[in-house]
Formats: sequence, structure tokens, C-alpha cells
Amino acid sequence: MALLSKQERRHFPDWDDSEQCKFHRVAVDLEKCDGCKLCTIVCPSNVLELFVDGNGKKKARVKENHRGCISCNNCYAICESGAIEASHHYDFVGYYRQLGRGEFSKPRIF
Amino acid sequence: MFVEPSARAIRVEDPEEVEKEAGRSSKITVVPEGAEWNAVEQVMLQRRSIRKYKKAQVPAHLIRRMLEMGRYAPSQGNCQPWKFVVIRDSAIIQGIEDFCVGECKKTSSAIDYASMPAGSFKRFVTRIKAKLFNRLQPNMMHPVPVSGITAIAEGRFAVFHHAPTVILLLMDKRGIGVPPIDIGICGTNIVLAAQSLGLGTCWIGFSKFLNQSPEWCVKLGVEEPYEISEAITVGYPVGNPTHLIARETHEIGWFEDGKKQVLY
Repeated sequence: MALLSKQERRHFPDWDDSEQCKFHRVAVDLEKCDGCKLCTIVCPSNVLELFVDGNGKKKARVKENHRGCISCNNCYAICESGAIEASHHYDFVGYYRQLGRGEFSKPRIF
Repeated sequence: MFVEPSARAIRVEDPEEVEKEAGRSSKITVVPEGAEWNAVEQVMLQRRSIRKYKKAQVPAHLIRRMLEMGRYAPSQGNCQPWKFVVIRDSAIIQGIEDFCVGECKKTSSAIDYASMPAGSFKRFVTRIKAKLFNRLQPNMMHPVPVSGITAIAEGRFAVFHHAPTVILLLMDKRGIGVPPIDIGICGTNIVLAAQSLGLGTCWIGFSKFLNQSPEWCVKLGVEEPYEISEAITVGYPVGNPTHLIARETHEIGWFEDGKKQVLY
């Protein structure tokens, strides 16, 4: 009994193939973002940037073609307006496929 | 020496009877369902890996307080296989940063075929090498640390995050059982204590590169049978990263009343 097939166990994904290596992504809700800039400062990988939207307001966004979000979620934790959330966590094909994971959830009280 | 089997048998006493007779029964703490987080749980939920610090140095007594919590961590056979090195000298922190960045650059140029020109011979050979290395060291060569090494090599990411204090957790390799686990438990005590004191911390696994430098080992006092197992950066976090975030739930196999349930 194994959760990974023989083929999967032998398959090490290509780092540069976004189909095989899906890295963490965060999404910014522009309605809620108040342009405080803190998320762009705390991001250790410099993935977020500030831009001016159509109404002349400063907003944060994920840079295009960025490499290197390390899924630290500090942008999410520092956002006081609740505008940032993880859109998906990393996952890989083959040997590194994530197992036994359920839905995302905030801390639950039992 | 031969001992009668009856003499070897453990005397069976009901521990609860003993505490009752002594008039010293401990109370069972009742936590009602749905109770709010207590102070310790709150600290655990709010602790994050902090990678942006204020310039202000952390008072020395707070570092001592944190290490004291590390000293009281449980360990296998109570072997306490740890030793601490505290670095609060910015020149030394810059020195170890530069060394680790250099090692990341070397590693990256040896394995990161993804950044090499498509179709080139170099990329072809490097990819074969990387795949082989991947198979031999699947934990170290996971795509996440590999992308971290690349980011450090390209200067997009720092190793010690310019923290004012760095604590090296040294491990006695002769520790009982699985000493890296004890180092992990010890460090967990340290980072949770730090969180409760208003400090931010981050585990730095890439600090292990320092073991490859005889010069740094001598300078930092890392000698056999010790090795650097992990490092923890400490400082005051920039902003208030305390918003509780959502995380994956994980499978729980639950056996009770002769049944098995799968919970998340």
C-alpha cells in the first residue's frame, strides 16, 4: 500500500515547469486594499508592488512573472484590511505531490 | 544473581488511590467546548516567521530569557543535545551572511538548470546532474529550498534577514535517539517564548552551510562533536503581522469505540 504510485515516486518535477511545480500564490482584493504599502515591505521575496489604479488610488498587486513567493503568508498576516489571501498553496507532481491535505481554514475553536 | 519472578513483579497500586489517601489529589482542569484561546494558544497562533526586522537591538536579558525556555525543553533520555551561540555583532552577522550567500551561488550554478539558456549543452548536463542529486537528496533538493537558493544567489532574498541577533543552535551529534528532533523542540520553546515577549523570529536552515567552513567553525566555536543544526534570527518585527491566516487542514485518523474515522 502506498499513496504514491511507483511512477510518481520516480518522477522528480522540473523546477521551471509551472505545470509540474505550482508555487504558492497570493491574491489581493483591490476593493479592500487601502494602499498602506506594508505588504510590499514585509515580503522577503519582493513579490508585491504598489501601483496607481484607474481612480488614482494606490493599491498593492502581485508582480507579473515573479519568481520566488516562498509562501510565508506574512503579507496576509500584516494586512489590516483583510485584502490579501492565499489563492493556492504550493503543490507538485510526482515525488513531491502533497498528500492528506484538506480545505484551508482559519484556526478553529473546538 | 537469580531473582524470584514474584520479587521482580511490579507492585500494582492504583496511583489515584495513593493520591487520594495522601489527601493530595490533583484537580482535573475543565476546559469547556468552544472556550476562547488561552494565552499560550494565542502565542502559538500568532507566531510567524518574521523576515523584516527593525534596526533596534533586542535587550540581552530577553535573549537570555528565551534561551532559558530552550534549556527546559524536553529531549530524548533527557540528553539535552544542544549548545547555543548568540551573535549580536553586526560585522559577524554580515560575515556569515556573505559566506552563506556565496555557498548558495555555488550550489545554484551547479544545479539550477532552469536559469540556463534553453537548448544549451550546459543546461542539458546540469539537468542530468540535478536530477541525480534530486534522487539522492530528495529532502534538500525539494523545489521550495531550491528556489530559495536561487533567490539568494540572485540577491532577491537574504539568508539571515539582517536581523540584529542570530542564535545558532548547535547539536551534539552523540545525542540519544534522533537529536535533530530535540533541537527542533528546543528551538520551538525559544521561538514561542520570543513571540510572547513581542519579538519576531525565523528559523534559518541555510545556516548549515557554515559547517562547511573551517574558518567560521573555528571563529564561532563549532567543534566536534557539535555541528550547526539550525539558526534562529531574532528582532522586533516591522508592522503588526498578527492577523490570523487560513491554513490547510490535515488528515487525522481517529480510533475510538472500535471505529476508525477520518477527520480534518
